[in-house]
Amino acid sequence: MELIKSTNFDFLGKRKFAYIFSSIIIILGIVNFILRGKENFGVDFKGGDLLHIEFNTSINLTEIRGILKSIGDVTVQSLGKEGKEFIIKSNSGTADEIISVLKSKFGEESIGVKAKSVIAPSMSKSLREKALISFFWGMIGILIYLTFRFEFRFAVSAVVAIIHDLLFVISILALTKQQISGTVIAALLTIAGYSVNDTVVIFDRIRENLRKTRSTDYLSLFNKSINETLSRTVLTVLTTVFVVFCLFLFGGEPLHVFSFSLLIGFIIGTYSSVFIASAILIDWDKIKPYRFKL
Amino acid sequence: MKQFYYKIFIIVAVIGLCFYQIYPPDKKIKKGLDLQGGVHVVLEVEQPPQSDKTLSDLSDRALEVIRNRVDALGVTEPVIQKEGTNRIIVDLPGVADTEKALEIIGKTAFLEFRLVNDNPEDIKKAEEGKIPDGYEFLYIKEKDERGIYRETAPLLVKKEPEITGAYLVDAYVGYEGGFPDVKINFNKEGAVKFEEITRQNIHKRLAIVLDGVVKSAPVIQTRIPDGKARITGRFTTEEAKELALILRAGALPAKVNVIYQEVVGPTLGKSYIQKGLKASLYGGIIVLAFMLFYYLYLGLLANFALILNILILLGILVSFKGVLTLPGIAGIALTCGMAVDANILIFERMREEIKTGKSIRAIVDAGYHRAWSAIIDSNITTLITGIVLFLLGEGPIKGFGLTLSIGITVNLFTAVFVTKVIIEWVIINMKVEKLRI
Repeated sequence: MELIKSTNFDFLGKRKFAYIFSSIIIILGIVNFILRGKENFGVDFKGGDLLHIEFNTSINLTEIRGILKSIGDVTVQSLGKEGKEFIIKSNSGTADEIISVLKSKFGEESIGVKAKSVIAPSMSKSLREKALISFFWGMIGILIYLTFRFEFRFAVSAVVAIIHDLLFVISILALTKQQISGTVIAALLTIAGYSVNDTVVIFDRIRENLRKTRSTDYLSLFNKSINETLSRTVLTVLTTVFVVFCLFLFGGEPLHVFSFSLLIGFIIGTYSSVFIASAILIDWDKIKPYRFKL
Repeated sequence: MKQFYYKIFIIVAVIGLCFYQIYPPDKKIKKGLDLQGGVHVVLEVEQPPQSDKTLSDLSDRALEVIRNRVDALGVTEPVIQKEGTNRIIVDLPGVADTEKALEIIGKTAFLEFRLVNDNPEDIKKAEEGKIPDGYEFLYIKEKDERGIYRETAPLLVKKEPEITGAYLVDAYVGYEGGFPDVKINFNKEGAVKFEEITRQNIHKRLAIVLDGVVKSAPVIQTRIPDGKARITGRFTTEEAKELALILRAGALPAKVNVIYQEVVGPTLGKSYIQKGLKASLYGGIIVLAFMLFYYLYLGLLANFALILNILILLGILVSFKGVLTLPGIAGIALTCGMAVDANILIFERMREEIKTGKSIRAIVDAGYHRAWSAIIDSNITTLITGIVLFLLGEGPIKGFGLTLSIGITVNLFTAVFVTKVIIEWVIINMKVEKLRI
């Protein structure tokens, strides 16, 4: 079977539209992100307590919210259809108080604690720092490797495309009111590592064509390379997206935001290898001409 | 031909070894805390105001004490390790009563015996705010009928302890008058000291202070020469047992604070596994079906490589004593999606080579040879992020980084080496002359 036969699209001719599209989403997203402030982050990054409790009978969500009002900044979220399970997020150090308040109201035996996280401010601070350090080293690692395998310009363009993908995903998360937690950081780093794969496949073909033709008409050579690798770019991301989509549909609550981020990131990663990574190389060459010595 | 047998032997040996490693999977594949339930805590050791020891040394000592306590609790396969200068990570898998476990781990258990000042004049002055030098007010905490601790009337006690738990050699539960208490034995030096204290202060009260709270303040009736003392304080048998355990394990050298705590109940872990496995299975089946449909025989080959990839990944995970977490399962699922990428790159390259009219051997060779650079580059970039997640990630995310890294490395063996051996063997032995993609 051959889904995508030889094509000859002028991908890079349309790069201005892509620049505009990406800029709009990212600017909207970042504005939203800044306005949301601390709400962007899950308890592990802002500190606080998280309880996953189950009642033996179904309880009204508003009733729980009313009861817990006295404790202060508490958000209650219902889980499942039966109305028995709830996720309660509150300020650091209030989880035990919440349990005892609920127990005194509904009875000692009526509540089971299925999961509990307590994250003190000093811990959330070091988790934030670790997340940033992970990104830093991840990017540096990829930058060095690609510089070594290709050329500095290629490496920089690939890393810019990665940063684009990450900003894009963070923007979508902000716009859809979802929170960044530890697993989302894992998702973002995976996106960084995986979305660069498509870029590498295209760059690999550009490298091959450059060596073969010694052409300096980079725009058409790049377009040709993108078209030649189009089928594998689409197929490889497709198989991975199948899996991520299943994780998103069936993986349950803890994998939800994780797989959602991956889904957006992988699709955008493919888009960006054409419209950002390759496009930047072309525009960079326009501003400051350069002969690739690959 | 000879080198074929050699290669096939390697493949079969690896398959056999991995089967041996993971069979039976229920027992061999260790589940992370998030999947089997349990507690993950990060403790931070606080620098005491006056101490000549460094924070790092104090943390080392605290780690020893916590290890003793956890051992006494009888948790199977706990993980207790130091992180940085003053953090201690404690993983207790499968612990049902997490509250109790945390209480036992986190209690400083600093035991002091301090003299009580019962002079009515001094107490009156102290209540007016003029606390005599070297004294302080301490409270007795007692449980009320609803089981909640309340502070009762304060006692005026000496700041300086007469003797501390440092001289303690043993602690056990005893019963006197039907109520449980904790009996302690001092070592020789402690016994001499204790005799001295009791001899000099007969008919005075001696407060037994644990972590700054008075447990009880009995009157010294007589000189105690044998270094035996008794801590009373309206304990339940359970509480007395806990206290004895903590005292035996020794006091923590400084106060420790719980700065991160993750508790997962066993039922929740089970539902995580079910959902995670279900999602991974569906994803895997779609990928297998897609590859078979799209590439036919070559798809079958890629599918074999994919299953082998998962098998070896699990085998290595078990050999490295790695644990499977929920994000780890997601990592394996992702490996399914990514594992076939290398084969897609190879097969698409072959498709291009067919157009040049080469012989089947040349097409296969060129397909593998030319796709190699793209495969290695893309796998290494993914590996870089996987390793970063493994090294810097916390808890379950570490597991994700681990499975992703192993999966992507094994992929080079299964998707490239194994499939090539099989293709070449089939072409030679079955006299295939045309490649259908």
